[in-house]
Parts: sequence; structure tokens; C-alpha cells
Amino acid sequence: MTGSEPLRVVDFGDAAPLRSQTLWHAVAYGVSGGAAPTLSFVRPSDPYVSIGYHRRLDEVDLDTCTANDWPVYRRMIGGGPVYLDSGQLFFQITVPVKAAPAARRRALRWLLAPAIEAYHAVGIQAELDEHLEIVVGDRKICGYGAGQIGDAAIVAGNLIIDFDHDAAASILRAPTLTARDELAHLIRRYVAATPADPSTFKAAAIDAYAQAFELTPREGVLNPIERDRLDELDQRFLTQSWLEGQSRPDPVAWQVKIRAGVWMFAAADREAEVVVCFANDRVLRAHLQHAGFNGSRPSLEAALAGLTLAEAASTLDRSGPPGRSLANLITHADPGRSL
Amino acid sequence: MSDEHNVRGFKVLLDRAYHLDFHLWVKVSEGGSVRVGMDPLGLDTAGTLSQLEFAAAGTVVARGEPFGTLEAEKFVGPIRSPLSGMIVAVNAEVMSSPGICERDPYVDGWFVELMPFDFEGERDQLTEGTVTLVAAFAAKVDEYRRQGVLAE
Repeated sequence: MTGSEPLRVVDFGDAAPLRSQTLWHAVAYGVSGGAAPTLSFVRPSDPYVSIGYHRRLDEVDLDTCTANDWPVYRRMIGGGPVYLDSGQLFFQITVPVKAAPAARRRALRWLLAPAIEAYHAVGIQAELDEHLEIVVGDRKICGYGAGQIGDAAIVAGNLIIDFDHDAAASILRAPTLTARDELAHLIRRYVAATPADPSTFKAAAIDAYAQAFELTPREGVLNPIERDRLDELDQRFLTQSWLEGQSRPDPVAWQVKIRAGVWMFAAADREAEVVVCFANDRVLRAHLQHAGFNGSRPSLEAALAGLTLAEAASTLDRSGPPGRSLANLITHADPGRSL
Repeated sequence: MSDEHNVRGFKVLLDRAYHLDFHLWVKVSEGGSVRVGMDPLGLDTAGTLSQLEFAAAGTVVARGEPFGTLEAEKFVGPIRSPLSGMIVAVNAEVMSSPGICERDPYVDGWFVELMPFDFEGERDQLTEGTVTLVAAFAAKVDEYRRQGVLAE
């Protein structure tokens, strides 16, 4: 991608929840079919929930979504379940897959680096950390997902102008009240809004992507192939089978990632229950329940703070029979899924 | 000659064929079916696997068409079939725990078992044989190193 080739810029403005997903999916099919690399923008007019391509629908608290009239749509790119509303401006960069580096981490850095420049241009000191999270300090400021649709590679991210932390926490199914409270706490602590002017951000993103990819920005609209795809996607995304996704094995325990390195785990059996929050992959807080505890719980919970998962399991294992039960539960945690 | 080679730092087993563009290995099983899995170079460039999904047993796939999807680094991409055929088995273990593929890509980390429609006819798309395979695999690694793809 060099020289006078165009960077198509499509600003969809405000769009209804379904269209705020299907419009850029349609663009991906267009780029796959030969349309120019495209930078698009869209802002949802109303709240809704989007779930990543591979994720289980039961990760979403569907009762909460129904009670609030928040529709749920499955997207074709990665990441977890997320809450979206008009406080978030979404951008999508879509390029032919052959133009992107072959290694995913390289590809993501290449596709996200101009977005970092756009954040800087509106006064946000964002950086792409070693986990490929877009952060200011230790707070995530952009949720993104990526994928290959046809022969197009796409990254969709957001400028979080205003973030409803409580709503974002409420759409995630949590197994206990303790887990729900901790989830809300971690989201408030580790996800931040960056209230920049969206128009300035858009202009900066157009400049940054055009310069980085050596393309000439040109305003554009959907082509006929994309309009046909849009109709098909509108129908597909509303079907129950698409929403359910492919059947997946039952998870052995509940686990949620807030950002890379910040995650929660919960598990229970007949006599024990454990909820553990991790930050930088070390125990931030642990909540332990066991019928056999006789006053040792507070000190054991305190002793786990700051430990890695393996160290926490070892500490529990050495602390007597209740601890051993809890250690068995905690072995189901998978730090790899926190990346 | 050993059945295993270290090629530019990547373990390559010589008892199977490879599709070097899709980064998949293909090993003939009893009864004419083949097992398919990802080679270590593909795993390296994919990043940390978080999700794997395969089409169900009984699904017919054409060579070059996706038989599954892989998610790493929040990036979902297709896994393209190295051969035309019917999927006769999928590895549910790696769908539950994709990390198995990183720990053991050649044995426990297999993806699917495929009954090829025309193995001999499509075999020329695969790379096999010690000398050819080692040279081609090394060339692929070198190409990626030149592009900076393996620097991270």
C-alpha cells in the first residue's frame, strides 16, 4: 500500500445497534473483494452488547440485557462480551490481509500504531503496552477486537468518551454476589474513559492512518457488494443460531478478563468456594469460603495477596484440609486465558 | 537420519507432510485418513492461542477453505484446509485447552482428522521428504526473519 492509492474513509455517524455492527462487517467483505483499504467510524445510537466470535453466550447476563432492552449481537472478530453505547465512538481499520504482517502481534502493532497517534493528537497519552492493550498508565482506555473476514484483516476499537462502568459490569454473568461486586470494582479501577472531542479524534485518525499506510484519504460510501452483504448480515446477526454460536465445551470454572494481566476467577464445590482477583497476574484479593474454617480465613486471605497463582495454590495446600480443598479449586484457573 | 530436525530453532518432524503457507502438518493415519495440526512456526506467528473452533465431524471441506477458526491476541482468523475431504474427527481437548497445541503441537495438539478425497492428487501442494522439507521450512523461517515477523 503505497503512493497515490486511496484510503477510503466512511463515517457512518450514529447508527442503530445492529447496524453499528453490520456496517463495518460489510466493509470487510468489500475490502476482501477488492475495495480500497478503509477507515470507518460509527457511534451506536442506543446501548447494546456485543460478544466475540468464539465466546459462549452464557458469559453474558441475558436477564440483565433483557430487563434493560439491550440487544446482544455476536461479532465476527475476537475479544469478550462488551457493553456499547453512544458514549463510545468506534473506529475500524480494514485492509487486505496480504498487506498486513504475517505474525499477529506484528499485524496488531501495525494496525493500532496510527490509532495511538490519534489519541496523542487529542491529548491522550495512550500507549500500546507489551500485552497489546491500549492504556494510559495501568488503565485500559480502548477495547478492541480483530480478525480476518474473507481476505480482509480488520481491527475495531473505540474512543471511550464516557463509560458506564456499572452497565459494563452488569452485562457479564457472575456466579456469586461477591464475584459481581469484585467485577464491578475491577472494571471501575482498570477501565477509563478519555473524554476527547470525537470529531478531532476522527480527523487525527484519518491523518495518522493515511500517513502510516502511505495512502490518500478519500471520503467514500458502501459499494454495491457491501450493500448486498449488509442486508445478509442484518438478517444473519438476528438469527438465534448465529447468536448462540457453535457449541463449545463447558468451562471448568468461571473466569473473566478485564484487561491483560487483570482477571478474576471463581469456582465452588459442595464445601468450598473461592473468588480471586488478579492484577499483574498476582493476587489482588481473595475471598475464601469453607465449612471447615475456624477463624483462620481472614489471615489466609491476607496471606494470598501479592502471590502468583502457583504460589497461592501452594500456600493454600500447606494450610490444612480446608486450604487443600481450595487449592484444588484454584488449579482450574488458567492464567493463559488472562492474556 | 533422525525423524526430528531442528530447523532454525523450530522442531520439525519428518514423518509427515506440511502445508507451509497454512502452517499445517498432515500425517497419514491408518485407514487412509490424515491428522492435521499446526506447525510450530505457525504457532509462533499466531501468538498465544485463546480459542479454537473446528467444523463438526461429517463436514466436507475443499482444499484452501476454512475448516475452523483460531483466536490469538483477540484476532480471529480462519484455519484453511490443506486437503479436500471430509472431517471424520475433531480434537475436543484442544478446543477446551488450546494451550495443548503450544505444548505438544505434533501429538496431543492435533486439530482434526480428515478423510481426503484425493490425497495423491493434492499431495503436490504439500512439502515432504527430509531434504526438501528442511530446506523449504528453513526458507520460510528466513523469510519471516527478514520481514521481522519473528522478532517478538
